[in-house]
Amino acid sequence: MELELLKIALVSYIVAAGILGLHVMVLHPAPRVIGLSVLLTGFLAHGASIAARSAAGGYVAVTTEYEALSFFAWLIVGVYLAVEARYRLPAVGAVVAPLAFAVTLGAFVFYAGVRDLPPNLRSFWLLVHIALAFLGDAVLALACCVSLVYLVHERQLKEKRVGALMRRMPSLEALDTLNYRALACGFPLLTLGIITGALWGKHSWGHFWSWEEREVFSLILWFLYAGLLQARLVAGWRGRRLATVTIIGFAFVFASFVFGHVLFPGKHGGSFN
Amino acid sequence: MGRDALIVVGINHRTAPVAVRERLGYRLDELGPALTRLTGAAGVREAVIVSTCNRVEVIASVDEAAGAPAETIANVLADDRSVAAADLAPHVFAYTGRDALRHLFRVTSSLDSMIVGEPQILGQVKEHYEEATQAGTSGAVLHKMFHRAFAVAKRVRTETGIAGKAVSVASAAVDLARTIFENFDDKTAMLIGAGDMSELAARRLRTQGISGIIVTTRTFEHAVEVAREFGGMPVPFERLAEYLRLADVVIGSVSVTEYVITPALVHDALRARRQRPMFFIDMGVPRNFDPAINELANVYLYDIDDLGVAVAGNVDERERESVRAQAIVEEEVERTWRWFDSLEVVPTIVAIREKVEAIRQRELEKALLSLKDQAPRHRALLDALTSSIVNKILHAPISSLKSPDAESRDLLASARLLFDLEPPDDDEKEPS
Repeated sequence: MELELLKIALVSYIVAAGILGLHVMVLHPAPRVIGLSVLLTGFLAHGASIAARSAAGGYVAVTTEYEALSFFAWLIVGVYLAVEARYRLPAVGAVVAPLAFAVTLGAFVFYAGVRDLPPNLRSFWLLVHIALAFLGDAVLALACCVSLVYLVHERQLKEKRVGALMRRMPSLEALDTLNYRALACGFPLLTLGIITGALWGKHSWGHFWSWEEREVFSLILWFLYAGLLQARLVAGWRGRRLATVTIIGFAFVFASFVFGHVLFPGKHGGSFN
Repeated sequence: MGRDALIVVGINHRTAPVAVRERLGYRLDELGPALTRLTGAAGVREAVIVSTCNRVEVIASVDEAAGAPAETIANVLADDRSVAAADLAPHVFAYTGRDALRHLFRVTSSLDSMIVGEPQILGQVKEHYEEATQAGTSGAVLHKMFHRAFAVAKRVRTETGIAGKAVSVASAAVDLARTIFENFDDKTAMLIGAGDMSELAARRLRTQGISGIIVTTRTFEHAVEVAREFGGMPVPFERLAEYLRLADVVIGSVSVTEYVITPALVHDALRARRQRPMFFIDMGVPRNFDPAINELANVYLYDIDDLGVAVAGNVDERERESVRAQAIVEEEVERTWRWFDSLEVVPTIVAIREKVEAIRQRELEKALLSLKDQAPRHRALLDALTSSIVNKILHAPISSLKSPDAESRDLLASARLLFDLEPPDDDEKEPS
């Protein structure tokens, strides 16, 4: 059941990516609504898949590589849909949907059945920590997608290639503002994720910080985003430069995910010895 | 004296680069004297100048018998603008007869515009035609042609989708501003110089809710005048640099020989406005803004040609409509041409022309005989002089005879009486 639902989500994401991409490139009014509906269907199926897994395992399914990637992809889509409801950004959706597809596909690669959860992972703080950290990462993923769209749009404007594609693009100002808001939102979440992680570490092992790879990465990320926000607020960084650094920042987030969970599986990779 | 022939001579965006167009362009208030000079030239009976930033064209009714009217007209233009005729010649096009008529219809219907279907050209042609009417250089032939042209433009507009999809340069600029800025209500526009297009753009920005408009022109009085029109703020030209930082959209349409906006200037403005984006629209001919400013981060520079590209987005769609519009133009050309042709065969007019020409020839020969020095140049001079006098005198009466109500007002009969002509062999047909 859980895997069937996840497959529905996977297919929905790639179909939505196609439809939204088409909508942005071909001036046709209908596909936006269709694309978003397909994406929403995928999101709901995905949510149901996570719920089914949690029900089967008797724990909130967010801890193994598979669970983490699946949950992350689900959050990315959720954050985008929430934003899309307020701003009309089908062009961003055309970037978010393939990303969600890729991350979900990654989840499949690491699929493993439910396991017996060690008792120290059945902690409330752990859930709060994971929820906040992943939500922060998802918001930063959105910032990255927005920045990608910004760079494409900006390049078109600069090169004066003003075609149909451009008319489906949100304004540069909207993209820049959204990017900033996503950063301003993602950064506190990142901070809270680190703090709750430290609290859980204290609760679980008796020390706040253990210099694990994932923790080091998070710290680097924290400084990077702090610097980025500072540059925006004080030095007036915006536009192309801000977008580029936002994308680099998310590359780090992604790398920390991969390193933390897959290559150096410490506590964050699900082994807790 | 010969029959009326229609001719269009000039340069436009297809034949001449901006640099040539801008040297030849006329302001509306400069048209009067130029038109008088044109109709003063040998063989030119009626003339209208249409001068926009994409074209400077003379639509004229000329004496068919006069030699090389296209060259004559081109020379007057070159002379008038102090351009060497030889420099101008490679860019000049000329259409005669039916082709001239077709061209006039196409221009007025916006089929010949850089942005096909843009709505401003009809108004511009009307304005220029009215100038000519006031200057008295547009007579019966051109009146008829232009009124037909306006009717054709209207038909094209209502019967094809060309205008529906049409985006003028001004609205293209505003649409483009929308892809940069999300909200207009916290944005300020700056007009540097005031031209038709830039004022139109400013007006459109205003209706779209832009909060402030700064106007600066080279004479402060003019800036005050224009600013009043938009509820904007006039600023002295020398203080442009100080106010640039306030502007999100900058529209330039001032005629200058060097750039008014340089990268250094924009660099400073950007720093002062903390890198908030700036959109420059260069409607000036020659260019007002240094193209290098497009290299700066958060700065977007478009000139008229780029905007032409910008509206080309739905060109395919318009291409279809344009084919339908062409068909309408062809149909109207045929109809108007039949009328124009029929004018010339009105027996009374032919008879008057023949009679007067005979008198002229006779008197010319007499004069030449009495001249001791019969150099060819004297002959040519006298020939031109007498032709010109005869043409000028006959122009008004013949124009009246060509007017559609000539018969109902018994003009044809009166003319026969006045010129002592034989009664016609068969009934004269009213041309219409």
